[in-house]
Amino acid sequence: MARRYDSRTTIFSPEGRLYQIEYAMEAISHAGTVLGVLASDGVVLAAEKKVTGKLLDLSVTKDGGYGGSGEKIYLLTDNVVVGVAGLTADANSLVNYARTAAQRHLFTFNEDIPVEQLAQRLCDLKQGYTQYGGLRPFGVSLLYAGWDPYYQFQLYLSDPSGNYSGWKATCIGANNGTAQSLLKQEYKEDIKVEDAIGLVMKVMSKTMDSTTLGSEKLEFATLTLDPTTKKPKAKIYRPAEVDALLQKHDLGKKEDTEMKTS
Amino acid sequence: MEVSFAITGKGYVILAADQNAARSIIKMKADEDKIKALGSHLLMAYSGEPGDTVQFAEYVERNLRLQQMRNNHPLRPQAAASWVRRSIADSLRSRSPYAVNILLGGYDMANKQAKLYWMDYLGTQVDVPFAAHGYGSYFALSLLDREVQKRLVISFPSFKVKVVDEGGVREVELDMTV
Amino acid sequence: MSIMEYNGGSVVAMAGKDCVAIASDLRLGNQALTIATNFEKVFPVTERIMLGMAGLATDVLTLRDRFRFRVNMYTIKEEREIEPETFAHLVSSTLYERRFGPYFIEPVIAGLGKGTNKPFIASTDVIGCINFAKDFVVAGTATDKLFGVAESLWEPDLEPEDLFETISQTLMNAVDRDAFSGWGAVVHIITPEKVITRHLKARMD
Repeated sequence: MARRYDSRTTIFSPEGRLYQIEYAMEAISHAGTVLGVLASDGVVLAAEKKVTGKLLDLSVTKDGGYGGSGEKIYLLTDNVVVGVAGLTADANSLVNYARTAAQRHLFTFNEDIPVEQLAQRLCDLKQGYTQYGGLRPFGVSLLYAGWDPYYQFQLYLSDPSGNYSGWKATCIGANNGTAQSLLKQEYKEDIKVEDAIGLVMKVMSKTMDSTTLGSEKLEFATLTLDPTTKKPKAKIYRPAEVDALLQKHDLGKKEDTEMKTS
Repeated sequence: MEVSFAITGKGYVILAADQNAARSIIKMKADEDKIKALGSHLLMAYSGEPGDTVQFAEYVERNLRLQQMRNNHPLRPQAAASWVRRSIADSLRSRSPYAVNILLGGYDMANKQAKLYWMDYLGTQVDVPFAAHGYGSYFALSLLDREVQKRLVISFPSFKVKVVDEGGVREVELDMTV
Repeated sequence: MSIMEYNGGSVVAMAGKDCVAIASDLRLGNQALTIATNFEKVFPVTERIMLGMAGLATDVLTLRDRFRFRVNMYTIKEEREIEPETFAHLVSSTLYERRFGPYFIEPVIAGLGKGTNKPFIASTDVIGCINFAKDFVVAGTATDKLFGVAESLWEPDLEPEDLFETISQTLMNAVDRDAFSGWGAVVHIITPEKVITRHLKARMD
């Protein structure tokens, strides 16, 4: 019976459900985990990479670009970084849309786009695909880590239905239930970025399938304020930096085991 | 034959505009308010082509109000000024441009600073400590002192004067007899 | 009166040895009336490129915003900074888009090439015809004076501090003879390590 209402994205089932949207959300819950923690002096994002392997060419990520490997964490604008879970191809399209929206805001207002407004722009687009027929919705959830002078540091989550919400710590993708309850236990008010990094690492190591964490499986980013300029500074960690961070938190792999980074 | 002035001080901006509504040699109104409060901490003095002025000022007023309702906070003076400039600049190269000159004064609650922007109908914008539009600018900009009122060829009988500071916008009575 | 002279203002850029300099005056006027004396006409494009624009002030601001938009999108998509030559062509095509209703500005570009540190300076006309130069480029209401002074003061392979002196003297002496430019100046020296920015006091009349 449900099948009859599957073929169109915009048709309610008799139970009042939009199956395609639910399927999109289901797809995301199998995607690589993305975790975000809001601290008083910054925001931390971590993401589990699914596309790995010895033959994957990651040479540019070592010192080119902004540090990300282009799978999970993207820089949207100076004051917002985003982590994506779901269909990477859909995410690329959304990231491009968000970057343009951010620049358009900068163009008309001469200020960085407020984080919530950027999330809203994307959600307006996503919502459209739950209502206008003929097309498939975006199979992507996003975590936005950002800063603006109106509400300082912020962390938002958005899903394929076009819903969004603000969080102190949250998670999307595989095992998000486990991660969420771990975060709920461990999160403390007024946590600092340094501790938030530790928390993210800890939760990540428990939710990911692999026993040892390494830069080939993990992307990592922080958003803080530059102490001199007082402007937001996004940092997407390079593979070597991710490994160094894991070592620091005693979660990295031991020296003798398989491939070396850097 | 219109004139508007503005000066900034520590933590405030004062705007003043004449109150005449005239067509050629006929003065039709002497109590016109040409300074709009665009929010709790934002003032805009406007002058220029009759008709365009009020139309454009209301367009700005309603749009800034809409943005405040959507985003739960008002635009900062800098962002509001940029938006107004963008509107004027786009309008300039449209089929029917607005001919409106603007002084925008505001108090930025985020960094506790008063800001004043001078803008003309071409979309020229500059951040200044004091500014003027109209024939008054020829006196005010070089002197900006008490000589302004005496030397003005067309001595306007009254001015609307409004202040914006940390406490918001308010009107001030100006004693024109001195 | 020409719309190019409505607001006044001048810009000049010079090449040195592994460095470039770009400078502008600070005046914003309405014909003969000076409105402001803090109107900068040179804007950073990347860490190593600066763009100066002389002409109608509204278009200076609009193009500053448009170039920022396009350069930011370029940087974030390409994951690298734009090269001076590439940026010059971006400026050119942006202006030529308005071939039959132009932006009334003349841009001046100064930058250092990546890796090579090769000095790059260029200017274009209002519709984007590029003038690549090895020595200096000028724009604005003091164009003719700037050409004259620059021609006699500039020499090849100047070190950053000497180039600063040369461009400062060139700009100040040129705008002193121009009623529509002046009221102080700002000079940027782009070196491989950093950009040095200095504000100059000039004849304030």
